[in-house]
Amino acid sequence: MVGPTTSLSQLNRADGSASYKCPATGYNILGAVNAPVELPGRRDALKPEEATVEVFVKPGTTTAGVGERYVEGILRSVLGKVVLGREKGFPRRGVVLTLAIVGGENIERGDSYLTILPALLHAGLLAMMSASVPLSMTFAATLLCVTKSGDIVRDPSPTAAKAAVSLHVFAISSKSHLLLNESEGRFDFDTWELARQHALSICQGASDSSDGDVSMSEGKDGSLNGFIREAVEDQIYSDYAYKLDSI
Amino acid sequence: MSKEAQLSIAERDFILEALREDVRLDGRQPDQFRPMDITFGEEYGHVKLQLGKTSLIVRISAEVTKPREERPFDGLFNINMELSSMGSPAWENGRSNDLEASATNTLDRVIRHSNALDTESLCIIKGVSCWSIRADVHVIDYDGNLTDAACIAIMTGLQHFRRPDAVVKDGRVIVYGVEERVPVALNITHKPLSITFNTFNDSKHVIVDATLKEEQASEGDLVIGINSAGELCYMSKIEGSPINPMVIVNKTSVAWDKVKELNLIIDKVLRTDLAKRAKVGMADESRAENDRLVATE
Amino acid sequence: MASSTPSHPVPPSLSLPPSQFARLQPHAYLLAHLSPPAASNQPSLRANGRAASQFRVTSANAGSLTHTNGSAVVRIGDTAAVCGVRAEILHTDDIASWSVSQASSEQNTDKKPEEGDTDSQDKEDRAHIQDLNLLVPNLSLSTGCAPGFTPGAAPSALAQSLSHQLLSLLHSTRLVQADDLRIWYQPPNLEAEALGEQMDVDSEGSGNPAREIKAFWVLYIDVMIISLAGNPFDAAWASVLAALRDTKLPKAWWDADNETILCSDDIADAQKLSLRGLPIASSFCSFEADAAAGWRAVVIPDAEEQKAQEQKQKKQGMQQRWILADPDGYEEGLSQERACVVVDKENDGKGNTVIVKMEKHGGWGLDADDMRQLVDVSARRWDEMKRILDQC
Repeated sequence: MVGPTTSLSQLNRADGSASYKCPATGYNILGAVNAPVELPGRRDALKPEEATVEVFVKPGTTTAGVGERYVEGILRSVLGKVVLGREKGFPRRGVVLTLAIVGGENIERGDSYLTILPALLHAGLLAMMSASVPLSMTFAATLLCVTKSGDIVRDPSPTAAKAAVSLHVFAISSKSHLLLNESEGRFDFDTWELARQHALSICQGASDSSDGDVSMSEGKDGSLNGFIREAVEDQIYSDYAYKLDSI
Repeated sequence: MSKEAQLSIAERDFILEALREDVRLDGRQPDQFRPMDITFGEEYGHVKLQLGKTSLIVRISAEVTKPREERPFDGLFNINMELSSMGSPAWENGRSNDLEASATNTLDRVIRHSNALDTESLCIIKGVSCWSIRADVHVIDYDGNLTDAACIAIMTGLQHFRRPDAVVKDGRVIVYGVEERVPVALNITHKPLSITFNTFNDSKHVIVDATLKEEQASEGDLVIGINSAGELCYMSKIEGSPINPMVIVNKTSVAWDKVKELNLIIDKVLRTDLAKRAKVGMADESRAENDRLVATE
Repeated sequence: MASSTPSHPVPPSLSLPPSQFARLQPHAYLLAHLSPPAASNQPSLRANGRAASQFRVTSANAGSLTHTNGSAVVRIGDTAAVCGVRAEILHTDDIASWSVSQASSEQNTDKKPEEGDTDSQDKEDRAHIQDLNLLVPNLSLSTGCAPGFTPGAAPSALAQSLSHQLLSLLHSTRLVQADDLRIWYQPPNLEAEALGEQMDVDSEGSGNPAREIKAFWVLYIDVMIISLAGNPFDAAWASVLAALRDTKLPKAWWDADNETILCSDDIADAQKLSLRGLPIASSFCSFEADAAAGWRAVVIPDAEEQKAQEQKQKKQGMQQRWILADPDGYEEGLSQERACVVVDKENDGKGNTVIVKMEKHGGWGLDADDMRQLVDVSARRWDEMKRILDQC
């Protein structure tokens, strides 16, 4: 299986940016973060003690609709909790995240937004890090679908996702907390728990996984969290290459 | 309202003074574009354009819809450009600004109203179904000359795009997937592009492809939409300081030269990309069609 | 002021009445209710008097609006939602994509639905309801439903996101059957003795001309939150459910002579929708004793460490986190972490509990064990809601 690819700080104007591409689902997301910024238009929404996170999702080939508002809400609540908004310079300011879906199929009105959620979460997180927004932890997200025969499939294609009995998105923090779960379809709790275990092993590495078919090509320890970590490490390494050379 | 950082007086003076000596900040000639790089995504009609530090992505998409009542023989074509804070921190998400309005207007007039894309060829069944073509422009980095960059990218995208083949059988439209039948190129009637000129020092100095800083120091602009055959399809001198009519005449021929030059670059990248695709085996017959298109050009 | 002070000399006091304390220190106020001093022997109750997993009093009333095909009002505490379902006819001639078929899926769309072949029927339902947008829910938060909702404002992000949640739940639960929304036409044939256009004509002879779909019913499901005191989704979904259960579609047929759809105005001919199951939504929020813990901690403990720590504190009688069912507006303002579980029970409540949607976001407090408990609480809530909806 081909792992996702990412690259940080591609854009010139935005404070931070990241692109994230997941070959399995075909989605390619470009994220840009501007922070900290004034949000004069949202004065009523500004919090006196911490940063306000704003998320804007721009679909690739349609105009934004209710589905985008919904997924923006989810991203805001997940990222808002992870951003250390009380750090110096952030209270009463905004963190504006813009995510453009530059590759992959459209989400039609009323279709499930779960298929694209992990890609959006990763692009958002990496863009935040590229903009040096202080974060309390990183996380990794994964999409799992349970097929009719009861198999759990990771990163199903949009067609496979439509045919699935249930769809699950889990975001697991770098410290194994369950940060986000979105599940839909028809399932019982045991299936959910199985899917969660599966997600945990995908995000945290196969160490605590019971089944052996989880083989990944990402980060050193084979986990998605490792992949995120490595992407950032690579970026820092290239950013400070001039210093390393002079030593 | 967030704003772009203003140019300092020293910077402005420097730019103007340099132009008096016929020097631009980045050492370009007045009639020279920044280096341009066009790349394509996996899908047809997915174009990434990098013009200096201005960068944007265009995605062309097609779907079957009902034609408008008053124009049953015409398909639909729309250009959609929303400026988000990805392109510049000065742009607020979900709110349109002056630049968005004026750039969208120019693009509409240069490409749509000049009928660069033959909308009649998009008709499938009169009054019942037709193709709706949509061009979405995502501005991801803004450093001046948005209109020209968007125009180049959209025209490239339209020529690169292939819509699925559709056949009418017993009153039903059957749309064939890309795997089943070779997708069809759009019918492009002519290839207009817009060229934006910025004027300085009482229109003594006129440059093309201004960067953001040059735009901020400029006293007025002139937009000329013209195709490779030299047919003028759009011209605007909306505001800014007055300019000598002779400048317009002179610059129209400069614009024509530029458009011919740019269209050659577009043709070249299109040919290279299609050859690459043909090698992969994804598009073998469409290449012939493109070759024919290039030949007629 | 001046007249009242001399008659009732109030001694200067440092204590505040509860209502003021609730406004000034909302977090401390709710925390004090949830963790009463051990000596007082008081149970841990929320500021609104409910136990942690207790839902508010819920009432439902169906058929409240006259000019709709189905309607319902649902009140959960002070949150009230009105839902009206209006059915409109959509001719297949007016559907741009109707005469279009994808070559690869052609067989699928042309095939008649066969009873018993649930698999293809499922697909067909999804194709028709979802692709043709036969269900159009729209939620509006009416002016004045809560402070801050001013007249003339564009639909807020909350309203739009709730509309999407309703729509995607309608699609993912496949609540409405596409066959209820189809208006068929059976071209006449000579053998047909039974003249009435029966809906289930599967047993007919093979010599008949194929019947065709002439139109669809489109259900416009409009939800209006007239009063918002927290947890709008549960109320909105319950009102949609109750309204759809109440919805009756008039008998409609294709009149070949006039080339138009005719509807019977006889109420006796109208058909109720046959819904698949009864999914019930239950929302929760997690209230943290120390809301700023996440901010202050230099190093956030691992999930397992944190769990062990919490359990230790719980043993000492210091609970750190409460999961509040059906939060009101006051409680929603004090918590960031939300969870929502939508469950259904098979065989009209006798079968297994099936989860149709589960979500949680906004924090890292709730773990898998908590989610298991929430599913159990939601299953109990299902029984309660079924009783309420059956009575309305």
